[in-house]
Amino acid sequence: MRALSTAATGMAAQELNVETISNNIANMNTIGFKRQVAEFQDLLYQNVERMGSQTSDAGTVVPTGIQVGSGVKTGSIYSVREQGSLTQTGNQLDLAVNGRGLFEILLPDGETAYTRAGNFSVDNTGTICTSDGYAVQPKTTIPENATQVTISSTGQVQATIPGQTAPQVVGQLQLATFFNEAGLEATGGNLLLQSNASGAPVVGKPGDPGYGTIQQGYTEASNVDAVTEITNLITAQRAYEMNSKVVTAADQMLSTTTQMKS
Amino acid sequence: MDNTLYVGLSRQLTLQRALDITANNLANVDTVGFKVEALTLQADPLKPASVSSTDPITYVIDNGVARNFGQGGVEQTSNPLDVAIEGEGFFTVQTPDGNRYTRDGRFGINTQNQLVDRQGNLVLSAGGSAITLDPQKTDLAIAKDGTISQNGQTVARLGVARFADLSVLTKQGSNLYDAPGVTPSAATNVHVSQGAVERSNVQPIAEMTNLIAITRAYDQVTQMVSQTQDLSDSAVQRLGKAA
Repeated sequence: MRALSTAATGMAAQELNVETISNNIANMNTIGFKRQVAEFQDLLYQNVERMGSQTSDAGTVVPTGIQVGSGVKTGSIYSVREQGSLTQTGNQLDLAVNGRGLFEILLPDGETAYTRAGNFSVDNTGTICTSDGYAVQPKTTIPENATQVTISSTGQVQATIPGQTAPQVVGQLQLATFFNEAGLEATGGNLLLQSNASGAPVVGKPGDPGYGTIQQGYTEASNVDAVTEITNLITAQRAYEMNSKVVTAADQMLSTTTQMKS
Repeated sequence: MDNTLYVGLSRQLTLQRALDITANNLANVDTVGFKVEALTLQADPLKPASVSSTDPITYVIDNGVARNFGQGGVEQTSNPLDVAIEGEGFFTVQTPDGNRYTRDGRFGINTQNQLVDRQGNLVLSAGGSAITLDPQKTDLAIAKDGTISQNGQTVARLGVARFADLSVLTKQGSNLYDAPGVTPSAATNVHVSQGAVERSNVQPIAEMTNLIAITRAYDQVTQMVSQTQDLSDSAVQRLGKAA
């Protein structure tokens, strides 16, 4: 009886759905986190009676045929690249991107990672870096005696030095855009890597056409919506239960069969 | 008397297959663009088994799988590359085995900046060609008639195919339909929604009641078969005594 394994695929799919939802809820307060959605597709079909097959010498054919499906599979876990709301923090190195684009981060192994989490700090050399100490590209160093750092909406970094009236330009931030941002590979630590699916990064200045602007003193909250996740969770749980009912029904039918008198 | 057993068996076989189909419907309760299926049955009258009887024996056999192509609920996703068809029609995608049709409008972009489905198959335009987008232009809009435009400039129009007879479609898995030997016409009254997907049109309550009905019917047939056996047993015993 195929129903047993079909229902099992349904239960496995809903289990993955719940796992994805729980990851979203766990990251509800993660800066720059993008919620993920598990997407399903139907599995292969078995042609018990192929449609269009001839049923008589007179040329009559089966009009609809019998195709029996074998369940469901996970097509992809898709990350929804919707803008998260901006939260004011007052920290002068908290940067949020309003619109498209990701910050470029240089990993210790020389690879470039991308992130929407702009809660930056400075390291012991004055370089702007992530909370893990990875430098933000292009490398920007804040002078040690700077009293204030101002980052404009177009990404220009200016430092106010005591004794100088005009602030000094110390760097220019860049943003990378990908055509298929959802195709970026997540590596944890709020970082994403370029993949075959994402395409190559297109680097530009914040505020240019097609790029978002930088908001200093803000961080981008995760775009997880608690109400949506909880409703999805309920739906997933109910779907899981329904599939388990199919297992029970199939089991009951099989047990009826084995108890038949011979 | 043995005919009862075989009639019962024919019913049990169709019930098992009906359960398989209900299981598949419930497994796909969350599959975008999935269309619910049901087993249709037919009576199969045969000649009477014994000479003394004139009533034909009627078995039940499965006749086909009926697919309900009714509209599934349209859910907003706010993803610009999610497209749902409201009303009739199918998106056309190009697979290595030829063109396939789907109601699943969750598209993406491949490395050549072409519009693809989740398997990486090219999504075809109304003219039957691939749709290439410009990665530099960010503002992507898909109008109600399927016209794709970027920054106000028309790029292509999504191909929406229409089948006069939906029963030619066979399911292939991965949300794709095949239409062997049939060329669809272009749908005229296209209505697509950007930023939305069409949910599965499986109605969980209907499937759960089907499930109950199937298990109960199976029990009843089994009961009938065992009563027939009892009848047969007691007949043999009584006739044996008389002799």
